[in-house]
Amino acid sequence: MRRRPDRLLLALYALAVLLVSLLHDPVWLAALLLLALALAGRDAARLLRRSLKAILVFNLAIGGGYAILVGLTGRDPWPTLLLINLRVLLLTFMTFLFMARANLFNALGFSRTLSYLIGLAYSQALAFRRAHDDFHLALLSRSPHPPTLMDRYRASAAAASWFMEKSLHSTRDTAQALRSRGLFDA
Amino acid sequence: MHIPDGFLSPQTWVPAYAICAGLWYVGGRRLKASLDEDTLPHLAVFTALSFVLMMAALPLPGGSTVHAAGIALLAVTFGVWTAFLAVSLVLVMQALLFGDGGITTLPVNALAMGLAGSLTGYWTWRLARRWNEAAALFAAGWLSVMVAAGLVAMVLGLQPAIAHDNEGRPLFFPFGPAITLPAILIPHALVGIGEGLLTLLGHHYLTRLRNKHF
Repeated sequence: MRRRPDRLLLALYALAVLLVSLLHDPVWLAALLLLALALAGRDAARLLRRSLKAILVFNLAIGGGYAILVGLTGRDPWPTLLLINLRVLLLTFMTFLFMARANLFNALGFSRTLSYLIGLAYSQALAFRRAHDDFHLALLSRSPHPPTLMDRYRASAAAASWFMEKSLHSTRDTAQALRSRGLFDA
Repeated sequence: MHIPDGFLSPQTWVPAYAICAGLWYVGGRRLKASLDEDTLPHLAVFTALSFVLMMAALPLPGGSTVHAAGIALLAVTFGVWTAFLAVSLVLVMQALLFGDGGITTLPVNALAMGLAGSLTGYWTWRLARRWNEAAALFAAGWLSVMVAAGLVAMVLGLQPAIAHDNEGRPLFFPFGPAITLPAILIPHALVGIGEGLLTLLGHHYLTRLRNKHF
């Protein structure tokens, strides 16, 4: 029952992304950002913080470089910086808002194979990400001194070999699970 | 190597989506044609493997990031289409489920990393392995990174020429290729060494595991 709203949200999100990419007026972009904040309601502050955190490093690096480069030529870098930063912030905020409001697995439900694939890959990725974090914490907690570069290389090699072995076994396990649930039955 | 959202003009990402959609369709058809109890989990699990390999990313001043990707490893071990689809899925998951990367930049990243990177890695290995298998695998990893990074740098560097206002001010990514090419390629030449080693050691390890257990 939720699939239709999720697909509609996906279509609206795609249209909004195209629209924002075609706008080059900072006033319009700022107005749309305010509208998106209003649509986010109580989640606005949390999503805005998350968006700012996601773009901060890139935008500071690019913005800083551009301001120096253009400033040296005597031109004003701020109109360009305002436009680019507003657009990047708005697009990122819209993506987080879409993620908060829609279920991607339902939105992609028009293709059974794609839905299964995303679901399987996502669950595996979550498990692998947890394992990756565990490996990192294990290295830190078991090193009396900060780990050297060689320690990090060794730990990375051990983790990579574990991930590869786990991948091969997971493939076999998942295949058996899908077969037992009749996914490949005609 | 990911390009964040908002730095590519629609003149770039809309045609890139059109090309990518065609390639995803072809890849999907090939996948469906061989759909059995192994294909789907195989692709899903190696998508997750590629995802975890891409997790450690460092930002670059040129507007991008460096990280190992395992693209050549996937391409030489499982084929170009599997690698392309796996990398595309990783980018979709990163953009829409983990909030990392961008939706407008997804097709360019998929074409550069998933397709060009996989093709370069696979054919370097195929053509060079008759002389020396280990060198071929290392070169496959290094070249796959450099070609993908070079394409990303070119696409970013072309943005000021593609989209600018009447006064010549850039509307999207503000630096030309004179800045993006060295800013992205020089660090990736080092990352490529890690990718080459990952391809060499990972391929041997995966082949040994497959022979041992499957």
